Amino acid sequence: MPGPLRRHLSYLMAAMRADRSVREILQAAAPIALAVFVFGASFGVLAVAARLPAWSVVLMSILVFAGSAQFAALGVIAAGGSVLTAIFAGALLNLRFIATGIAVARSLPGGRLLRSLLAQLSIDESYAMSVRAGAPGAPDGRTLLVTGACLYAVWVLGTLIGALFGPVLGDPKRLGLDAAFPAGFVALLWPLLSGRHAVRCAIGGAVAALTLAPFTPPGIPLAGAAVVGLWLAR
Amino acid sequence: MAGPLALALVLGLASLSFIMRATGPFLPNLPSAVTERTVGLAPALLAALVAIQLTGPHGLLHLDVKVPAVIVAAVLAALRAPFIVCVVAGALVAALLRALVHLN
Repeated sequence: MPGPLRRHLSYLMAAMRADRSVREILQAAAPIALAVFVFGASFGVLAVAARLPAWSVVLMSILVFAGSAQFAALGVIAAGGSVLTAIFAGALLNLRFIATGIAVARSLPGGRLLRSLLAQLSIDESYAMSVRAGAPGAPDGRTLLVTGACLYAVWVLGTLIGALFGPVLGDPKRLGLDAAFPAGFVALLWPLLSGRHAVRCAIGGAVAALTLAPFTPPGIPLAGAAVVGLWLAR
Repeated sequence: MAGPLALALVLGLASLSFIMRATGPFLPNLPSAVTERTVGLAPALLAALVAIQLTGPHGLLHLDVKVPAVIVAAVLAALRAPFIVCVVAGALVAALLRALVHLN
């Protein structure tokens, strides 16, 4: 093992032993892990029902690890949209990870390269836990890593189980699975609507999308909503 | 969806997500006024996704069983029901309305 990597790893292990034990962090993460597992399973079921090959569904969870972005991309595919529009929709939702990456960067061990790799473990839930465990303006890096690794495992496992059981279900439309997407987006949206700004952004985003949808190609309504969201956020 | 197309979808989204998560440590500390704006992205995009899911082929609002499904899911979400409950309830409402009332 090369020297710098070993140094980073020992730093990481030392950081792991510091004040809050891994076990305590995992205990705090358990209820969230359960929710992420079920979310992963529902993603797996719906993705297979939308005719994505099961292996690609699991691979997506392994490589992307972002529930709302994967769900958004899948929603576009299920509604008959193109692959490019689906990637665009998912990527737009993940833009926020640039901001969370900046916020957690200083709390992670190692050089920039290692930190940018470790930052892959940030999703909304692990980031929120690290902010809660850390000091103001300094999220707790160890909480981010332990929670993120735990949630990564259950996310992939949940997707795998969903993708295996998905084909048992049958005709997606008869089962109302097409309605599962807007229902899921509403369920993801609702907890975010705390505060006047968020409500304003949501209404603005929906209005922008509906205004653009009749006369622009797919993807543009979402881009418009993103711009309106950034504009109305303060 | 054909295998290569699905692979393109996965790799495209994965590489962009990787880049977005990886850039943070390489960027200087941006003024909080800039980073705080990104909190507006998720609500705006999710609301837009709900809206787009409710449009028909010509991009116009299309009233079908998805509308009551969304309303039921929103009410459940407001009552702090778990994600899976909202999704299953939404699908159930649509399936039942299709089966019982022959709505589209």
